[in-house]
Amino acid sequence: MVFLIIATMQLQLQQLLPVYFEQNRKASSEIWGKDLAFSKGEMIKIVAPSGSGKTSLMHFLYGMREEYTGTIKYGDKNISQFNAEDFALHRSNHISIVFQDLRLFAEQTVLENLEIKRQLNPYHTKEKIQYMANRLGIGNKLSSKARICSYGEQQRAAIIRALLQPFDFLLLDEPFSHLDNENSQKAMELMLEESRERNACIVFADLERIDYFPFTRLFYL
Amino acid sequence: MLTGTNAASRWFSYIGLGIGVLLLLSSLQMFFNIQSLLKKTSIRKNGFDYVSVTKLITNDNMGQDNRFGPADVEELKQQPFIDDAAPLLSNKFEVVASGGEVIPFSSDIFIEALDHSFIDTVPPSFTWSEGQMVVPVIFSSDFLEMYNVFAPSYGLSQVSTATAGNLSITLRCEGKLGQQTFRANIVAFSDRVNSVLVPSSFLSWANKTLEGVDDTKASRVFIKTKDANSNELLQFLEQKHYRVNKDKTAFGRSKQILQGIITGLGVFGILVIILALMLFSFYLQLVIARSKDSLQLLLTLGYSPSWLSKNVARQFIPVYVFVVFFALLLTQGMQWLFHHFVMYDRPELSSFLHWSILIIALLLILLSVITNFRMVKRLLYKLY
Repeated sequence: MVFLIIATMQLQLQQLLPVYFEQNRKASSEIWGKDLAFSKGEMIKIVAPSGSGKTSLMHFLYGMREEYTGTIKYGDKNISQFNAEDFALHRSNHISIVFQDLRLFAEQTVLENLEIKRQLNPYHTKEKIQYMANRLGIGNKLSSKARICSYGEQQRAAIIRALLQPFDFLLLDEPFSHLDNENSQKAMELMLEESRERNACIVFADLERIDYFPFTRLFYL
Repeated sequence: MLTGTNAASRWFSYIGLGIGVLLLLSSLQMFFNIQSLLKKTSIRKNGFDYVSVTKLITNDNMGQDNRFGPADVEELKQQPFIDDAAPLLSNKFEVVASGGEVIPFSSDIFIEALDHSFIDTVPPSFTWSEGQMVVPVIFSSDFLEMYNVFAPSYGLSQVSTATAGNLSITLRCEGKLGQQTFRANIVAFSDRVNSVLVPSSFLSWANKTLEGVDDTKASRVFIKTKDANSNELLQFLEQKHYRVNKDKTAFGRSKQILQGIITGLGVFGILVIILALMLFSFYLQLVIARSKDSLQLLLTLGYSPSWLSKNVARQFIPVYVFVVFFALLLTQGMQWLFHHFVMYDRPELSSFLHWSILIIALLLILLSVITNFRMVKRLLYKLY
């Protein structure tokens, strides 16, 4: 499947609702059951209390799960029509994610975890990994196996990993759950820089509002 | 990335594959060896085998006419594995040959005529027309050999092929309607036809003139076939109760047995290959199942299933290629040893492998790579 890169590339949500949610969720949510479009360059903040389907939404947008009604479109393509190869291309070029559950290779070192992503579609040089790791305070952890790093360190590694590829949309699913305020701010700064560089849209879902994310639109899930 | 690998099952499958390929390739090579060895032993002309066929004489059919009529010959010709057939027509009158001064010996003999295309040595002088007093004769080499064996016991001198050509032989032909004497001249010797052959024009003239018969029935039929040892031919002849020149089919029987054994070995080789491929595919499935989480994460991060399967394939393809080439090399070594030490460098065999063995080896590599590659890809798509 060929992707047409157009200037106003949008991620569209049409009447989206998880199959395991009641219809009445549509009334109380600003996202479920609505028609929305996120454009490149936008900063989308989604405030979502526990159980509101935040991780489901992120997984739907990333194309990992299909237990929903409604439509998700990337540009004019319905992502439910994508096959495995289409998704591989989509994920290595257009969309990146920081998982709430981090999803690192436990037996690989931090550097190996980052290289696995960088080599998929190199956007940055190898040196940039060291620079980013230093900025987030895990420069000395690159040669440690991921499983012996703390959650905070693993989370920072997961954030850096998401930034090593080209993307139009960056999905953040509670990216700072294991970080203190200071480290969260540093990470946010790095992500904002990287997104501006790509004119990308950040879709940031978290339990509550965070002051240092300069959102352009705010939704309650 | 691929965790939980079970080295033992991997090595077993590689060794199994090697043994299977070795068995298959060496059986095939032996098959070709037998083919080329047996080709040399039968008397051939233009790549065909020529054998004579008679009807089997048993106690039950002893008194009957056991000759081949035109319909029998036609039926033989119709068989797909028989290229041509011609009757050996024989004399219906008495023939007595005497040797003259060099060989003071006379004997009742029989003479036969056969279509020229079936005779291995036909000189231009092998023709006869009415009125001609000299009859050209093609003599069986075996008969000459037999004569030379018993000649000393009778006080006769042995004869070389060169001298035999110059012998003055008298043929006295006598039938119901008359008697006539001819001079016979041996113009050639035949390795193929065990008979005393005369031109058919002479035989039919003499049968008609001396005995008054125009009989087309023959006791023997010569057949021309691509392979006198082929199963189809032997089965057909057996079913018709026809009997073939023995030493020529003795090869056929031993060839059949040998080929049976070799085919058995080849089939066994194929089974071992299938087993080894199955073992290896189980091993790959196990590896993929154990590395499921890692592979799934790679897919989630954006790696494509086809890229991943290529990467997995890149690990086992070189080993497969090595295993098959190693087996090929061993087969080559065995062929060289066989040719050199068992067959003493016989010219009809080669120290090198038959070209089709190389193609089979290549096909085996392709087969194993494709089947495993497809399986890995399918498993990865399932993980997605």
